[in-house]
Amino acid sequence: MAKLVLSLNGSVLGNYFLEKERFSIGRKPSCDIQINDQGVSKEHAVILTMGNDQILEDMDSTNGTHINGQGVKRQILQNGDVIEVGRYRLKYVNQKAMPDMDFDKTLMIPAFDRTKLRAEGADKVGEDTASISTAVANARNVKTVFPLGVVRGIAGSVMGREIELVRAITPLGKLGGSAIISRRPGGYYITHVAGKKYPIVNGKSIGTEPFALDNLDQIEVGADKLQFYLQ
Amino acid sequence: MKLKHALTISSATDAGLVRNFNEDSVVADDDFGLVVLADGMGGYKAGDVASGMATMIIGNELKDKFAKGVGKSNGVDLETELLRDAVSRANQAIYHAAHNKTQFQGMGTTVVITLFRDNVVTIAHAGDSRLYRLRDDKLEQLTTDHSLLQEQVQLGLISAEDARVSHNRNLVTRALGVNQTIAVDIRQERALPGDIYLLCSDGLNDMVDDADIELAMVAIKENIPLLVQQLVTMANDNGGHDNISVAAIKIEKPFPLRTGFFARWFGASS
Repeated sequence: MAKLVLSLNGSVLGNYFLEKERFSIGRKPSCDIQINDQGVSKEHAVILTMGNDQILEDMDSTNGTHINGQGVKRQILQNGDVIEVGRYRLKYVNQKAMPDMDFDKTLMIPAFDRTKLRAEGADKVGEDTASISTAVANARNVKTVFPLGVVRGIAGSVMGREIELVRAITPLGKLGGSAIISRRPGGYYITHVAGKKYPIVNGKSIGTEPFALDNLDQIEVGADKLQFYLQ
Repeated sequence: MKLKHALTISSATDAGLVRNFNEDSVVADDDFGLVVLADGMGGYKAGDVASGMATMIIGNELKDKFAKGVGKSNGVDLETELLRDAVSRANQAIYHAAHNKTQFQGMGTTVVITLFRDNVVTIAHAGDSRLYRLRDDKLEQLTTDHSLLQEQVQLGLISAEDARVSHNRNLVTRALGVNQTIAVDIRQERALPGDIYLLCSDGLNDMVDDADIELAMVAIKENIPLLVQQLVTMANDNGGHDNISVAAIKIEKPFPLRTGFFARWFGASS
């Protein structure tokens, strides 16, 4: 269960469990956390719970709401976040709201009752986005522990060009690629994609299998010659 | 009609690096131009049963109907009806198994289907398994996830970018086998030569972002089996937290139904 730890000047004033779908913070007595202080608006901020997410929303408060020092309008809370409301601090504690907890097994839940949510303040029904980016931040890039690879063109259409192998895949040869170099956790690999001729590394055809590149390997793809090196 | 000459289809499924079992299932048939991909959930290995039932029942149902002859495409409705019926049958079968056998209790599965016929692709889906299309080197998502995350975005509660830091990526709002009926989203798109369609389970798109999926599809479009393997490898290289299933279909040529004399002569069986 997620909770908020309320404090002022380092002294803990109380613990509050986020048991409601809509949890309010403000000066009004009806708020779930009432903070009787002139720097706090009547209804200063709310926390909406949807599935495993708790979303903090500033309710157009006079002095604003901050998370970890940044002013926010609406944000998904992460374990350990510190919310500032006026002079008061609320630490968000939820062991489930951590990046490595996001790969729990898939569960089925009923679709949300939109009318109910709207009544609860989420009236900005919008952004009819078909596509959302779900790739988790910590999985987006291969964590490489080796130096960046580069290919330098030494003959053919790539002559004189330097291509940094930054992305997961770099195509070589004509468009559509007759070969790719892929950046993987263990290093760089060259793989044949299309065409009758396989890429040649240090004078030998690599065939159809991915081939691990070593520093200073000489690569031939079609009429292009390149040298691979690690920075 | 055999579609082998017009479509190149390849698929792969992999347990990933963290899970012990693979609960995804894929069926691909290039005679009928049909691909079914399902991501199962629930119970000890029951997710595997649910996704396997979905792909098998939907695949067999459609193949049977085509083998018997479904007649000429009557506007847009024939394929839509076929897919709706097949998904409905699979849903009922999984629902009954889940409610009659304790070891299958609580099982369910997502599904995404593409049926290529008469230069049109009919797309059906429920849950968060996706269909993308690469056309003119641009990636586009053709399905909208049935997930809590998607709802949060549609309600305006969070932005599409914020979805990355959500903790709701594992919560789907629709799945086969959970209720007696299933609402399935169906749409149709004209399929053009050069298009590449990509079906996947969330084990791919949760680990590899769209920009890198696009990059792979553009760079490896001349070798569809390698493309599929490369996408699985990329998901594993980024952590492989979930089962990964990928199926790709490249349109090599137009595939109109036979018409006129030959169609009548052969009964226009499919």
